Amino acid sequence: MKNPTVAYVAGAIAVVAVLGVLRLKPWQNKSGPTPIVSNANTAQGPTVSGEPQEVKVGFLPVTCHLTCPVTDFATRTSKANHFASMRFTDFPTVVDALKAKRIEATFMIVPLAMKLREQGVPVKIVYLGHRDGSEVIVRKDSPAKDLRALRGKTFAVPSKYSNQYLVIRALMERQGVAESDIKFVEMAPPDMPGALATGSIDAYFVGEPHAAKAEMDGTGRVLYYAKDIWPHFISCALVVHEDLINSKPEVVRDLVRGIAQSGEWAETHRVQAATLVAPYYRQKEKLLKFVLTTPPDRVSYRMLTPTDEDLQKIEDAAVKSGILKNDVPIKELVDRQFIPKDIKPANIVMPAKSGGPS
Amino acid sequence: MKDLSSVELAALPPILQLRAVSQSFGTIEVLHDLNLSVARGEFVAIVGPSGCGKTTILNLLGGHIAPTRGEVVRDGKARMVFQQDGLLPWMTARQNIELGVRHLPQGSARDNKVNELLALIGLRDFSEHYPHQLSGGMRQRVELARALVSEAEILLLDEPFGALDFLTRLRLRGELVRLLQEFPRTVILVTHDIEEAAHLAERILVLGERPARVNCELRLDAPHPRDVTDPIVVDAVRRILGEMGLRE
Amino acid sequence: MRFVRGVDTRDFSNEWSLLKSFAVSQRSVSIWPRLLLPAVAVAVALAVWWVLSSTGVFPGTLFPSPADVWAGMSEELRTGRLFDDIVASLFRVVVGFGLGVLLGVPCGLVLGHNPLARATFLPGVNFFRSLSPLAWLGFAILWFGIGDVSSMFLIFMATFFPMVLATLAAVAGIPSIYFRVARDSDLSGIELLRRVTLPAIMPQLVTAFRVTAGIAWVVVVAAEMNGAQEGLGFAIIDARNALSPDLLVANMVVIGLVGVVLDQILARLSRIPSLRWGFER
Repeated sequence: MKNPTVAYVAGAIAVVAVLGVLRLKPWQNKSGPTPIVSNANTAQGPTVSGEPQEVKVGFLPVTCHLTCPVTDFATRTSKANHFASMRFTDFPTVVDALKAKRIEATFMIVPLAMKLREQGVPVKIVYLGHRDGSEVIVRKDSPAKDLRALRGKTFAVPSKYSNQYLVIRALMERQGVAESDIKFVEMAPPDMPGALATGSIDAYFVGEPHAAKAEMDGTGRVLYYAKDIWPHFISCALVVHEDLINSKPEVVRDLVRGIAQSGEWAETHRVQAATLVAPYYRQKEKLLKFVLTTPPDRVSYRMLTPTDEDLQKIEDAAVKSGILKNDVPIKELVDRQFIPKDIKPANIVMPAKSGGPS
Repeated sequence: MKDLSSVELAALPPILQLRAVSQSFGTIEVLHDLNLSVARGEFVAIVGPSGCGKTTILNLLGGHIAPTRGEVVRDGKARMVFQQDGLLPWMTARQNIELGVRHLPQGSARDNKVNELLALIGLRDFSEHYPHQLSGGMRQRVELARALVSEAEILLLDEPFGALDFLTRLRLRGELVRLLQEFPRTVILVTHDIEEAAHLAERILVLGERPARVNCELRLDAPHPRDVTDPIVVDAVRRILGEMGLRE
Repeated sequence: MRFVRGVDTRDFSNEWSLLKSFAVSQRSVSIWPRLLLPAVAVAVALAVWWVLSSTGVFPGTLFPSPADVWAGMSEELRTGRLFDDIVASLFRVVVGFGLGVLLGVPCGLVLGHNPLARATFLPGVNFFRSLSPLAWLGFAILWFGIGDVSSMFLIFMATFFPMVLATLAAVAGIPSIYFRVARDSDLSGIELLRRVTLPAIMPQLVTAFRVTAGIAWVVVVAAEMNGAQEGLGFAIIDARNALSPDLLVANMVVIGLVGVVLDQILARLSRIPSLRWGFER
């Protein structure tokens, strides 16, 4: 009885220990920063501004958040702040992580940021992630020319708190389509192209690359580009916790400048941008290239200063649709002090062919 | 063969006594005002119809339950031997027997004692077998060995051979007698096998229907080992059957 | 109604037999067919899959071909990501499950022995057992952040309560005769626990280990929806996001294979000689 018991307990402890060592990789302590794993120090040695900091910035693998991994890449060997991009898979998890202050900066759909503010979570929109970059997709063989043709059909949106949903409601009103005429479903964006192909939904409105996927697969076509419905459409913004703004304003300033410069670079280096972010997104480079170049104005990374007018328009629509109970003053929601006066493209040296971030 | 009155029994120093014991489970009274006295070294069998409370008497004697009324006096340690499943299935035959010698310090004296018992019951080659790898008869032998190896002076046998076939039963009775000659003990045997009682016991108590009373007591003086066809045994069987109203 | 040692076991004995029937061992089949038959079944399934995808009944966008999946899997193997994912998931499952066992078994022992504790806590145990680990996802992130600890918490929540119930049912089912033998041999306290109570429930615990380890492995996909950046469950979600059904299927295959291996390892516990009795009658 005694010996086998001891042996089995020892075996179990050994298994845990081996897995722990393999998992935590203590021998990797000194390696440089990887895009995902976050070691507090980047081992670049002390700098003028003291210890280099690593700040985690949340993003989802959608092109609305493209500037996040680009900034990660641009600052990966920085002697000041490294903005490590942290890939999430859904917004509820992003919200939880932000509430728990596991991350203090993230890209997020704008109405959701408003909702958080309404609930008393002290977050601020400090910059935008993109303009445009979303499409309404219908099946390739669909005869639809406008929303009137989608009466009685099923329409997928990523979330009730997405601006896509608000925008499509505004368009329905303009075209005289009643709220009850279209059946809306919330769906994870990656599932939308497949659902469209198999006919379980008839149309969807979502950020790239999930719209372009259907186009590339030959199962869907664009009914509307976002800019056709709502010029300079905004889906996502860079949201920062007030604690970070108060404790390290210079870090936030650095972050916003980094994002702005990454945007400027991506705007003029679209093919390279696709190559650069593909490993961060773990998506196919071909698809991202398609999104960024077909046509080039499908998504834009300029004009990223959020105006009161932009945000008020979204908020009005949100209140109207019932997802916000009352107006959150835009002044409380936005903080433009960190936006740089002139934006130069980020200085990015493309990695060697096989490279990618590592 | 003669009947012994309780007065004569009291002359011997009793090792076990039930004094005016009553036992109820809920509203059912199983024993009512029962008196019993067992002398040191005696082999007493208790027979009776099933459900009359035989096992309850054993449980009282063993101290596993406390009487509702009355008093149980026991002058020494007691050990039960069960009908089946009394061996711990996760222990080998040797380990089970070792449970009986826990009073001895670990060492060669203890090992020798266990080996001696294993040899006596003829299971030396099976010492490292688990109970589920042994036959029913082998298991009961191990149980007997475990009880006999212990310091307990009293053996409480609860239908010890009840789950075995007739031939094995006969063989084990002989073995029990032999073992008792090596390790003298006071034995209380509860059984509904009248022949078994007559074959083994020096004194037989025949219980009546519930609540149990002692209907009659027989004393068998024939020396051991007895033959199952010994006239004394056969005669005792006849008398018990008559007492229980089971003779044609 | 069944009473074991005065305990009403109605509320969990059924469940126990259900658990047990889950983990039936396949002793009746001899060694060669036992290895060969599943191999044949897998080969046939692969062939059917290959034929279906090459005839184009399923478009590649809806279901990937075996070749795609193989390519995806070799790529994951080559970059070492697959190994890291397996290690991450195994680490979380082993720790979460280990804690579930380490805390669940003692709790089950207490509840099994103490009617007052059972009356007090059994409804609570049943309540929490009914909650899907997914329901804890939000709190897991709020309390434990993103990464290993919150995944372990979710796996712990999924395994602790079944472990308590299985132990409780096993303890309540110990034949009273064993305790009487123990008493005759003057066993009490820790020694009683070590030499009688634990060995008596061990075979049922081994079955419970297999069942709950299975639960833990199933839950790993959900438990890694917490912003984890590595792990097979995360890889599943990530493959969806990356619009790569080939990687999705590749990771599914790996999860299934690792699950089978885990179960086989735990099944070996039932070969311990002092446990055989529980599996042979």
